[in-house]
Amino acid sequence: MKKGFSRGWLAMLPWPRPPGGRHYSACHFCDTLHESFPVSEGLAARCVRCGAVLYQNRPASLARASAFSLAALLLMVLVHAFPFLTMDAATLRRDLTLIGASSALMKADAPILGTAIFLFTVVAPVVLAGGILYVCFPLMFGRAAPLADHVAKWIYRAEPWNMVEVFLLGVLVSLLKLAKVADVHFGFGFWAFAGVMLCMAAAVAGIDREELWDRLEVAKK
Amino acid sequence: MKPKYPKAADFGLAGCHTCGKVSEVALGNCPRCGTRLRLRKPASIQNTVALMAAAAALYIPSHLLPIMTVVELGEVTHNTIMGGMVTFWRSGAYPIAIVIFTASILIPLLKILALSWLCAAASGKVHPSPKTLGKVYWFTELLGRWSMIDIFVVGILVSIVQLGNYMSITPGPGALAFAGVVMLTMFAAMSFEPRMLWDRLDELTDSPPS
Repeated sequence: MKKGFSRGWLAMLPWPRPPGGRHYSACHFCDTLHESFPVSEGLAARCVRCGAVLYQNRPASLARASAFSLAALLLMVLVHAFPFLTMDAATLRRDLTLIGASSALMKADAPILGTAIFLFTVVAPVVLAGGILYVCFPLMFGRAAPLADHVAKWIYRAEPWNMVEVFLLGVLVSLLKLAKVADVHFGFGFWAFAGVMLCMAAAVAGIDREELWDRLEVAKK
Repeated sequence: MKPKYPKAADFGLAGCHTCGKVSEVALGNCPRCGTRLRLRKPASIQNTVALMAAAAALYIPSHLLPIMTVVELGEVTHNTIMGGMVTFWRSGAYPIAIVIFTASILIPLLKILALSWLCAAASGKVHPSPKTLGKVYWFTELLGRWSMIDIFVVGILVSIVQLGNYMSITPGPGALAFAGVVMLTMFAAMSFEPRMLWDRLDELTDSPPS
């Protein structure tokens, strides 16, 4: 059996080369020009001068990126439905939700901080996971979704502002701060958000930027 | 003499900042994704220095002003970032104290220093080895976001500790200043052009300073 066909129909669509003669890639770090050649699955091409990764061929890239981004989106629904922390102090019980953290700051006369937290923990993850799913899933069937190139631009714009893992560490620090004054427990939302963090990391690492754009270019022709 | 490592810019080619496709810069916009093509980010050193100077200026009030105010049974305490860390240290929670110290005090400071040093290298004032440069740039790109942790802690505490007269927490002006520091250093790192470091390096090999 030919190598690669064991993965079934996904292997029918390997990383395509966009039309045109020679292909080049310029290192994003030192600008060294390379002629680019396809690499086999699981391998990466590195810059000869500075060693930065030029592009890498991820195994089953589209399927992985779509599956993990879908999982992240589903977990995000659970994140909003369950509290992160529950605090029992005297006779009062308070729950912390993801939206709660930003809306409390809005109400406490800190609208800029509230908006920033909302953008970093709610909007950026949704744009990132939703964008990857929107672009990658139709590409599995060789199709480009409408406005896919605009969405793809927003994926990479949202990436540095996605602070899911930082927020999780923040929850842990808060838990330790509160442990002195009250009885605090983890809620299911915390574990769901940890799942979101792992799925997002897998989705982003699932497909190389060059591959995504090459596939889009081919699909649009 | 043919250079050992040909640069895209030497051929009038530019790798698109958005999609990575290499095309002639004369085309104006990337034929694949429509982003404006540039050989180098325009005025990158000026932008980076300006954003960084703003971040450095905000760093001072962010540590002097309280990040949150705790009202416990009518008693008002103003908490600064440094104060929170010291409390953890005194109560024996050393790992947490170290995390806060690293994320809130050390990383922003190191990031400002690292970016100043990179700007000095990009304008040809210092001549470090490319390997060090790579490590320093990686550091500035990757670690800056972790400083947001204290802002998240303020948001979480303000949200959960609303216990009426017993205890309540409100955000302080230091939190806004600190969020400003983190975001400005992130923008500064984004506007920096690492390719300029290698341009300087090539200039040196072409005409070594005597």
